[in-house]
Amino acid sequence: MLEARRTVQALAALIRVSVATAMQYRSNLLFGLATALLVDAMRVAPLLLVYGQREQVAGWELPHALLVTAFFFLLFGVQAAVLEPNLGEAVQAVRSGALDLMLMKPVDAQLLVSLRKVDASSLFPVVSALLVGGVALGMTELPGPVDVLLAVALFGSGVVSLYCLWLLAICVSFWFVRVDNLRFLLWSATDAGRWPIDVFRGPVRWILTAVVPVALITSFPAQALRGAWDVELLGTSAAVSAAFLLGSRWAWRRSLAAYASASS
Amino acid sequence: MIEARQLTKVYRVPVKKPGLWASVRSLWDRETRDVHAVDHLDLTIGEGERVGFLGPNGAGKTTTLKMLTGLLHPTSGSCTVAGHTPRDRHPDFLRSVTLVMGQKQQLLWDLPASETFVLNRALFDLDRVAFQRSLDELVELLDLSPFIDQPVRNLSLGQRMRCELAAALLHRPKVLFLDEPTIGLDVQVQAAVRTFVAEYNRRNGATVMLTSHDMKDVASIAERIVLIDGGTIRFDGPLQQFRQRFGGGRRLVVRGVEDLGDLGFTSAEGRASATVEPDQVNGLLQRVLERHPDAEVTVEDPPLEEVLATAFGGKEG
Repeated sequence: MLEARRTVQALAALIRVSVATAMQYRSNLLFGLATALLVDAMRVAPLLLVYGQREQVAGWELPHALLVTAFFFLLFGVQAAVLEPNLGEAVQAVRSGALDLMLMKPVDAQLLVSLRKVDASSLFPVVSALLVGGVALGMTELPGPVDVLLAVALFGSGVVSLYCLWLLAICVSFWFVRVDNLRFLLWSATDAGRWPIDVFRGPVRWILTAVVPVALITSFPAQALRGAWDVELLGTSAAVSAAFLLGSRWAWRRSLAAYASASS
Repeated sequence: MIEARQLTKVYRVPVKKPGLWASVRSLWDRETRDVHAVDHLDLTIGEGERVGFLGPNGAGKTTTLKMLTGLLHPTSGSCTVAGHTPRDRHPDFLRSVTLVMGQKQQLLWDLPASETFVLNRALFDLDRVAFQRSLDELVELLDLSPFIDQPVRNLSLGQRMRCELAAALLHRPKVLFLDEPTIGLDVQVQAAVRTFVAEYNRRNGATVMLTSHDMKDVASIAERIVLIDGGTIRFDGPLQQFRQRFGGGRRLVVRGVEDLGDLGFTSAEGRASATVEPDQVNGLLQRVLERHPDAEVTVEDPPLEEVLATAFGGKEG
């Protein structure tokens, strides 16, 4: 318990430092806000085009599809502000040997390496998520408190799975120096999370649920908000997250044991 | 405080023959060979000892240090430091040791060093009073106050190294692993770092294990020398014994005289010097004084660089 408190305290201090660093470059923050809103508006446009032609897509009406988009923007913000910068930093640290000094800190090394940085200038898609989510909820019946709680839990569980996936990419960098392609692959795969999962069929649907689990983060919580959740949905999310957590922790331990450290 | 038993680290490295065909072939048929960076090393270092860990490039110094700090996992054998197995990375172990590497830095580049100190306070969970006491002492000893609030990127190398030392010692570790701590620093800062490490050891009774290419570091910090080559220990004993073993001669230095080349002297900067076996000192001294009765002659231990060159058998240290 004491170690958990120390870890949270240490991560909070690291994040405070990364925000302080971002504040040194204020113009980046303003530019980040302007471009994020523009890019996100362009992301909503195809959805509106499709729903201009038909009422439903794979059983999803426009307000619910917009909820999926809102969760997608949240995912996008988390990925750009937390997961991607830490992957970049960690890969660089493994390559240069800077990981040595990180490993000398009495804090869980996995959390220290994978959650040490927050790029505040990339958090603006969260603003888009609130705008789109607000519009979507205004177009439909408001969800009940249980639905909201489940949506939050499902989103959290999905984010944990996605974090584990990016952690696995960090682990790969212990063996292979270049992981840029893996980064592009992760971004491309998560882009599919813009669409409700029922749009996809067969193996693609399975991949987006269990391998690159974007459905867990976007479609599952949106389904909970529209009251369409069931035990299978909750069980799938919990099982996939647990498998990712155990698998990535195991991979991390193996990676540390194999760490060769750059020579000085 | 530090104990290693049969400590071994083997790296498997790819072997590639020259040529295009060999490169293509290595895609599916890769040859490897085992390199024993550290080979069945036994070492015991007591509390408060100051040990110089020396060896030529590739001797296994840094690999040993990294196993003792838990960064590398041994291939076989075991080690304990401050009562812990380093590879377990127990928080209590990490709170009782520190690692300073002259070529790597932990300071936050865009922010003042004081921000790194505050961050380390959180990472090591130091209480406010202990942190402030530690910081005040380090600021005074390392004379950090003129630049502690300037962004690190604007500091000189020497200023950065002083801040690095402070960041590494804020939690008052009991064991200091110093890997080339003075590399690239100017003479004044090197001297300041040496004085500081010796003073930290005196005040806190900390154990110090130092690797350095700079023999002045070793001479002023270490009281015991461990010499490693090819991953195994070749010498382990007091500094004085090390000099006797590998630099058994005496050095005659004659100031203000340059015409002693025929007696085996070499001249530089107005002084001639020659290193001879102890039983030849009197004879040589006599011959010098016959030629220059008023010459100022001193008999010294040979410099550590010379001793080390003998110990390494001509390898680069």
